[in-house]
Amino acid sequence: MLLVRNAVHAALFLIVNFFCLAVFYLLLDAPFLFAVQIVVYAGAIMVLFLFVIMLLGVDSGVPVRERLLIQRPLAFVLAAAFVVELFLAIRAGVGFATRAPDVFAANDGGNTQAVAKVLFTQYFFPFEVTSVLLLVAAIAAMVLAHRKAPTVTQAEIDAAAGKLEAGEMPVYGAGGAP
Amino acid sequence: VRTPIAFYLMLSGILFMLGTVGVLTRKNALLIFMSVELQLNAVNLALVARGCTTT
Repeated sequence: MLLVRNAVHAALFLIVNFFCLAVFYLLLDAPFLFAVQIVVYAGAIMVLFLFVIMLLGVDSGVPVRERLLIQRPLAFVLAAAFVVELFLAIRAGVGFATRAPDVFAANDGGNTQAVAKVLFTQYFFPFEVTSVLLLVAAIAAMVLAHRKAPTVTQAEIDAAAGKLEAGEMPVYGAGGAP
Repeated sequence: VRTPIAFYLMLSGILFMLGTVGVLTRKNALLIFMSVELQLNAVNLALVARGCTTT
């Protein structure tokens, strides 16, 4: 996904990545999250991405000359350093021991039911805050996408009226052929 | 046989690193956004792996 030039190919690789993550969720005893991951990410978000890519047009086939000459190796070096540091932190913090899960007790009566029970009782306030956040984002998208109507000044109205009186502008709907 | 949580965390770290590289190297805004989505998914995987196992 990172190295491919074509944006559509990158989006398709991202879909593959989403499906792999969904399988990992299934391995982690989260079948509801598996379904949501496939439906929302691989379904909705990737359709959105592909739609925007198709709408904006892809500069495919024309390899753009990269002008980020210094940033690109620097990014790789910094990312490698970051992941090494992360591995050390994981090894120091968590360790590699397998711990017995008790998620089966929490999943009694179905994973979806358990998620709903927790979501609407214990975490109800964060859930509502998230919904308000989504509402704010929707309103902001509408405000940003809304084009400002062209304002008509009084001088333009007067000028148009003057032209109309002088007979320079045809009057439609007044009957009579010009 | 359960996979240790550390492997999931390492995979999450690798995915996050790939997303970071994508954010830093890509120039198109849409591709940067896709890399950010990759980072969000990596964090999601870490959270799920953490929630699956108990301390």
